[in-house]
Amino acid sequence: MALVEAQDVGRVFPMPAGPVVALRNVSLSVEAGEYVAITGPSGCGKSTLLHLVGCVDTPTSGSLMFDQRSVAHLSEAERGRLRLTRIGFVFQRFFLLPMLSAAENVELPQAEARVPARDRRARTRELLDYVGLADRADHLPSQLSGGEMQRVAIARALANRPALLVADEPTGELDDETGEHIAALFDRVNQHGTAVLVVTHNPLLAARASRRLAMKSGRLVE
Amino acid sequence: MTSFALAWRTAQRYRARTMLAIAGVAVIGALLFDMLLLSRGLLLSFADLLDSSGFDLRVVSTEGLAARLPIAGSARLAGDIRQIPDVQHVLMIRIEPATARTADGPSRGISLVGSSDTDEHVWRVLQGTDLRSPAAAGERCPALVTRPLAVALALTPGARLTINARPPGVASALPAVVCRVVGIAEFAFAPTDDLTAVTTLEAFGNAIGNAGPTDADLVLVSSRPDAAPGGILRAIAGLRPDLRVYSNEEVVSQFNRNGFAYFRQISLVLSSLTMVFAFLLVATLLTVSINQRLGEIAALRALGIGRTRIASMLLWESALLVGAGGLLALPLGEALALVLDRILRQMPGIPERMHFFVFEPRAVAIHVTLLGVTALAAAVYPIWLTARLPIAETLRREVLG
Repeated sequence: MALVEAQDVGRVFPMPAGPVVALRNVSLSVEAGEYVAITGPSGCGKSTLLHLVGCVDTPTSGSLMFDQRSVAHLSEAERGRLRLTRIGFVFQRFFLLPMLSAAENVELPQAEARVPARDRRARTRELLDYVGLADRADHLPSQLSGGEMQRVAIARALANRPALLVADEPTGELDDETGEHIAALFDRVNQHGTAVLVVTHNPLLAARASRRLAMKSGRLVE
Repeated sequence: MTSFALAWRTAQRYRARTMLAIAGVAVIGALLFDMLLLSRGLLLSFADLLDSSGFDLRVVSTEGLAARLPIAGSARLAGDIRQIPDVQHVLMIRIEPATARTADGPSRGISLVGSSDTDEHVWRVLQGTDLRSPAAAGERCPALVTRPLAVALALTPGARLTINARPPGVASALPAVVCRVVGIAEFAFAPTDDLTAVTTLEAFGNAIGNAGPTDADLVLVSSRPDAAPGGILRAIAGLRPDLRVYSNEEVVSQFNRNGFAYFRQISLVLSSLTMVFAFLLVATLLTVSINQRLGEIAALRALGIGRTRIASMLLWESALLVGAGGLLALPLGEALALVLDRILRQMPGIPERMHFFVFEPRAVAIHVTLLGVTALAAAVYPIWLTARLPIAETLRREVLG
């Protein structure tokens, strides 16, 4: 059953110099537990598609379904709730809150989802252990390496047990060796049943996906 | 992790910004607090002064208390007032400009006060004795003088003072009277530089050439501690409908309308300005801070952190900055008020016991309320910015940036 289903979606950005078409009639479905990688040159629309699938943006044409529900018909608050409980985000620049420790960063989405404090702490310990950072729980992001920050970001994305993990260039800021560790972590996440949609320039990371798609000029080409 | 905790951590994380904002709000808040103290300081001080004199009612022949005319038959009136139940004490006062000199010294323009009785509430003897003391009993014209007059004419108790009941430079056929200084006193309503001599109403009458009883231009009435002065006021008005009787509250309200309106207006304008400055400072710092954290905030939104939590975090941030600054503003404002009060009280014509800045809990409550409103208003624009933040576009821009 498709977790996400995009049908002929398009995204046009109105610009002062005239509208910019970022996506043209893209159709994509991601099944529960699937691992999909999207590659393509810069500016081809990969991140735009990821943002649509991750429900942080809405298409200007076509339809997008998440869990068989039309995203277009959801209010901003409902989309927020959907992202909180069903989708996990991993960013190229990690975007951890610098004033919170690794554990607190992981706890934050759980607090928003009103998970009881005791369960939150247990889940956070479990996740930091899962990403190999149990001993760095109390460290601030500034005390962590890039790879460690990205692992905390992955733990944070998994905090509310999402069905889909979307990652935008997750190894973009990391060296090859660290990127390899992160890629291995994505494999593990997927093996444990979470669907993964990753947008990347990194061929080694893309190669690990069960389905690889390429984009060019706002279209899926294979 | 509550919104407050997030705000607290943010304040700790961006320490320089936090310290700058707190210091700015503390300085601005101190000015605001001082303006609040100033807006009612004189009024409170004046009311306190009136109350401390022990008199509840003031009887005069004209509208207002500033320019007064003698009350015809004031001695009889005073007698009638004493018969009113609940009246404790009646004091008759008459004030005229006069000239005073010592035998071998220069002459000075003074205020000559005739008083029907001595009253420690109206003055306090600092040196020597009071007008009706046994030591002064044999004197035809015993006089109490203010400290500035004692200094100006080098007077000590026992000195002779020649008084002409006419202003300086005005020719008069009235003979001078020679008074004996029995004491040096501090007068509740006298300015710090006031040159005043007080004598008995009889001696005053002699000085102004009155053969008979001297009419007072002010009759002060005090009620018994357990009595309300309202009934006495009505009774006096019934006795003499041609006179005006003022309660302390009416005197204060009259001064509030006329004498203190400038201070109120100035403090209103300046406190409004300080609030605007506080608003601009906090709103600017929060806005700059938000612009530096747009990526973080867009990421939080992408993770499903609601607008409400982010808005309440910003509100707490604003409240923390303004709250800490506002708290520091209280001792800072109090210290500044002491300095400013000392400077302003050096103005001529200000009674020694009057203050421009008077602390009252109400000022703290208004200070807290106004700063609370400022904190709320300062957070509105940053909250609006984050609420309307386009998540996808911001994330894209942050990566490209």
